[in-house]
Amino acid sequence: MGSGQESSRQLPQGAGRADQHRCGPAAERGRQVRFRFDGRAIAGCEGESIAAALAASGHRILRYTGRRGEPRGVFCNMGICFDCLVEIDGRPNQRACRSPVVEGIEVTTQQGVGRKDGA
Amino acid sequence: MIEREAVIVGAGPAGMAAAIALCEAGMEPTVIDENPRVGGQIYRRPPAPQRRGEPDAADAPSQRGIELHRRFNGHRDRIELLAETPVWGLFPPGIVATGGDGGSRLISARQCLLATGAGEYVPPFPGWTLPGVMTPGGAQSMVKSMSVLPGRRAVVAGSGPFLLVVAAQLHDAGVEVAAVVEAARRRDLLRHGAGLLASMPMLREGRRCMRRLRRAGIPLLWGHVVVEAAGAPELSRVVIAPCDAQARPDRRRARSLEADTLCIGYGFVPRTELAQMAGCRMSYAEALGGWIPEVDEHLATSVPGIRVAGDGGGVAGALVAQLEGMLAGLAMARRAGRLDEGAWSARRRPVARQLAALRRFRSALDSIYRVRPGLVDLPGKDTLVCRCEELTRGEVEAGIANGGTDVRTLKVITRLGMGPCQGRMCWPAAARLIASRTGRSMSRVGPASVRPPIHGLCLGDLCPGPAEGDGEPAAVGAARQKGPT
Repeated sequence: MGSGQESSRQLPQGAGRADQHRCGPAAERGRQVRFRFDGRAIAGCEGESIAAALAASGHRILRYTGRRGEPRGVFCNMGICFDCLVEIDGRPNQRACRSPVVEGIEVTTQQGVGRKDGA
Repeated sequence: MIEREAVIVGAGPAGMAAAIALCEAGMEPTVIDENPRVGGQIYRRPPAPQRRGEPDAADAPSQRGIELHRRFNGHRDRIELLAETPVWGLFPPGIVATGGDGGSRLISARQCLLATGAGEYVPPFPGWTLPGVMTPGGAQSMVKSMSVLPGRRAVVAGSGPFLLVVAAQLHDAGVEVAAVVEAARRRDLLRHGAGLLASMPMLREGRRCMRRLRRAGIPLLWGHVVVEAAGAPELSRVVIAPCDAQARPDRRRARSLEADTLCIGYGFVPRTELAQMAGCRMSYAEALGGWIPEVDEHLATSVPGIRVAGDGGGVAGALVAQLEGMLAGLAMARRAGRLDEGAWSARRRPVARQLAALRRFRSALDSIYRVRPGLVDLPGKDTLVCRCEELTRGEVEAGIANGGTDVRTLKVITRLGMGPCQGRMCWPAAARLIASRTGRSMSRVGPASVRPPIHGLCLGDLCPGPAEGDGEPAAVGAARQKGPT
């Protein structure tokens, strides 16, 4: 991970929605990191998890289960429960709570055990 | 294979304190943790690129955390820290298998301390899989470490003093906390109050927390349980009801609270996978959270060279964990011949005394906030018990009726616990369901079986890399720039 020297003065316009879910001074956040979730642009902060960045932008459904097709989101947020599984750049079954945001990644809602053509 | 004198798995309060004790005795411990930074769950710090100030130093637990981090960092040049390095196996005689982006490594430890901590216990209830329902610890780390609010309006529920801490932190961060819903009744507090006097500082911390909630106008509902989480496709409503001493709800008096977030946990379960895999003799201790490795007064398990400290050896909180870590560290230094008998017993005595007082306090808490039998009947027939394999209570009960009267057999019959969480989230509830339906004791129902790897592992990580052999584990950290893989 980089040094995060710049403050995040320049959070994007339209990130107002995201900021409502954040606390603490913006200057103390890491540098802005942009990625996509199901094709939508998301502004995260360097150092935070995909789960946190998505929660900050109001996205709480991260996958649909294979058997009952039910929505799931972050549950334990410490890497134990494996409920927050998403696909990252086509790789299925990645824990959103353990995966840091990285500039330019494509995160997608996972269906069941994920795309077979992934990875 | 890499060889090390002293390896500590887990860098929470127990692991950090042990590392400090070893360094003070002139040793150079290796500390392995799956997180990017030390501190464990309780003293977790914001990720490195975020430069927030220290947490509120007026609050005693934060102060302890700050002090522990300071002392750990003071010895940083003597500690080999392997961060973002999950341990996926422990093989006799003390071979620690690590994963992570750097690939798999085997570290042979002359002495090993398991300080693996605990996970939260969430017994199933209708709606507990909805997005918006999460553990109190999960919500806490989102707020404390990421400065992200898990939602706008939250209900904090379950049992235990941790709920008060989390509710206050959510409130301070700007989440509207609708209520704290506590299964214990106020009279339980009075009944076991005498034990709480064993530790005045801890008692003061608890009262301080309750005052904060009162000032914030957050109702604390003793003797209530959450009977349902509702909403589609996400949580929008939490149904609560008053309950009796066994936590059986009176559904006629149920009412709804509007909330987009429910933080729910009924205490903690020790993470003992590595101790089990190492072959440590285990016993069931309901008050300490479940199956725990048996240890002697020096925290040595039945397997020579392997010790256990902190919540992973029985849930007792951060302060006990830190003291146990210190004891374990001293014992390891003595065993390595780096601490003579005189120095060892002089340093150990005050720690042991503090621990004895705290254990009295903890056992009062354990009685007040015990896991109550009525929780087992909260899930409906169609409520999932195993979140990964999507098995309902009805299906699990059918499995029990078909002979799944211990956790391992039930697993074979139903697939319970065979998903990616490897049963961590469901076995304590499934075991209690078996015990309640068959009348067997929890010790007879047995622990879940543990097999390597205890974390997901890519097959590619097991293939020998170019640095296999005498590679320095320190190189693992250097190979870590590529982001999620």
